[in-house]
Amino acid sequence: MSRLMRLLWTAVLWLGGSGLAQASAGEEIYSILPGFKPVPALIMISLLALYVLVGVFSRVSSTSGYWIAGRGIGKFGNGAAIASDWMSAASFMGVAGLLYLKGWFGLGYIVGWTGGYVLLLALLAAPLRRFGKYTVPEFLGDRFDCHSVRVLGAVITILIALTYATAQFKGIGLICSWIFGMEYSTSVLISAAVVCAYLLLSGMRGVTRNQQIQYVVLISAFMIPLWWLMRQAGGAGVLPQLEYGSLLSGLLDGKVASGTLGGEELAHLRRDYLPWGGGNLYQFIALVFTLMVGTAGLPHILMRFYTVKNEDVARRSVLWGLFFIGLLYWSSPVYATLGRFWNPLGGREVADVIILSAPERAGLGLPFIGYLASGAMAAGLSTVAGLIVAAASAVAHDWYASIFKPNCTDKQALSVGRMVTAILCGVVVLLALNPPALIAQIVAMAFALAGNTLFPVTVLAVWYSGSNKYGALAGMIFGLVATLLAMVGWVAEIPLFADGGLLPATSSALLVCPASFAINILVSNLTRGRLDATSEERMEEVMGKLHQLPEDLTDEVVTT
Amino acid sequence: MSERNDVPLRRLNIHFFKPFGESMRQEVAVARIVLGGWVFLSFGVPLLIFLFGLGDPSGLGASFLTRSRFLGFPLHYWLLAQGCTFGYVILCKLYCDLWDRRLRRPVPVPVNKRRR
Repeated sequence: MSRLMRLLWTAVLWLGGSGLAQASAGEEIYSILPGFKPVPALIMISLLALYVLVGVFSRVSSTSGYWIAGRGIGKFGNGAAIASDWMSAASFMGVAGLLYLKGWFGLGYIVGWTGGYVLLLALLAAPLRRFGKYTVPEFLGDRFDCHSVRVLGAVITILIALTYATAQFKGIGLICSWIFGMEYSTSVLISAAVVCAYLLLSGMRGVTRNQQIQYVVLISAFMIPLWWLMRQAGGAGVLPQLEYGSLLSGLLDGKVASGTLGGEELAHLRRDYLPWGGGNLYQFIALVFTLMVGTAGLPHILMRFYTVKNEDVARRSVLWGLFFIGLLYWSSPVYATLGRFWNPLGGREVADVIILSAPERAGLGLPFIGYLASGAMAAGLSTVAGLIVAAASAVAHDWYASIFKPNCTDKQALSVGRMVTAILCGVVVLLALNPPALIAQIVAMAFALAGNTLFPVTVLAVWYSGSNKYGALAGMIFGLVATLLAMVGWVAEIPLFADGGLLPATSSALLVCPASFAINILVSNLTRGRLDATSEERMEEVMGKLHQLPEDLTDEVVTT
Repeated sequence: MSERNDVPLRRLNIHFFKPFGESMRQEVAVARIVLGGWVFLSFGVPLLIFLFGLGDPSGLGASFLTRSRFLGFPLHYWLLAQGCTFGYVILCKLYCDLWDRRLRRPVPVPVNKRRR
């Protein structure tokens, strides 16, 4: 790579300003030329056109179609949609890099991001479907019969969606600038136009259909290079997800592509792959727990259960969603291990480009690079779409159609929904064009936020009839304040909130989430007598629906 | 549910640890089994790796778990990278299957009469 090209490439990445890829990474691992690339561009454009067409053909005219896809989605379809909602540009490109950098400790991300679905399934999926309405704030508002709870839930949903979506646009913009040779800001605007177009045309149904296509694109793009790479590393190339084990064992003995390491280098390598080289048990558990409760509290994932035919499909779709997500997370460590094998002591520069450089190294040619980029693009687009639908529904459905103008017609609600979707797209684009400095960290904290606020209140709403609006408000406000405090404390470099501290901002849920549960229960019990009878009756009606209680409660109920 | 006037409203008491009615009891029982598995995989496995590694003077946690090999992997790596994640998928499958077995068959009325 000539000096000029490297300079150009550095400039493009600098404009991207993203943690996904930084500057020149050494010729042998990263040698993709800057500028317009016709074949990959053609592949990407055809896929984008396909997404928009799918959106147009699944156009809807009712609010329920817009928000929850008219409830026609089956278990595989919803599973694939959950998976592609979940898999962002960051998890597509970032997790392998994280595993490369952090070795064994990085597995905490994989465990945390898969284990959360078990929580979701066992505690929330079926009751949420039985509730049978559209959004998470709506569920909370109806369950606690309180508009303040509804509004607070909507505010938190929007906070989570905006930060999370902004980071996705950064990834999407980066990929566009890489393929089309455009400036970062131009590519953000163009990709935003694509997302906006099909969101507006189709709402959730188009999004869900597209997410199924996008899942297939992204997972195939992710997995195909592995077979070639494994063969180059001396494996049989049959099932790379199992074959990398022996490479990994070799690493612990210092065996890498260039020979055998010893002394200082071996010690470094062993440190990364032994359990506590990257952090202690507390840090590990805190990270895993935060990511789990965060996953189970993310509004755009919770909303997925309203889109299915019945609660049986809701349950099965978690199973399939987790399996589809597992395919990605079983493959990411292969990339990380191969990276270590070829470049045992590389730093962040190598980690950041592991996925992007893989097809190059595997000799798969330019068309495949286009396909891989389209996969990463698909990952980003589908997540943004899911998030914006969740945030837009929080405004249009939970505020406009429930509080501001409860008597509005279906048509009015739908047009407000479309307007809000467009406005939110605009806000996200503005944020993505001038990203706040610590965006990557703020995104990590979206999980802490969801786990500290929405998860406790939703679980108690379903499983504890004693929880009331005062408890819900107290618990959510505590979670919100504690999360923001930890975030500020972390930015201000206060040791308590630093990575090694007791309350690390990105893993704060291990302490804050149980406290939020406790505060909710405590305040609910203290304020037990303050609810009026109609309000209590309405709450009980929702509880009855959640648990499918018969209309004539048996003696058993009264005596327990 | 408005014709429930004969039942004192305040007595509807839903509690994860005190389920009532056949259907809710079964649902909670299934959830508990699955959550038990979840706790073991998420926190038990790391704890085991920690406990076994206490003997390592360097503090890095080397133990027989890091020395033994499973399917070619160092066992401590496999346990998390594939053991736990695969375990979660199996737990989800178990949840769906247990639900089908315990809650799908005809349950004495009236508790389950509103199902589908």
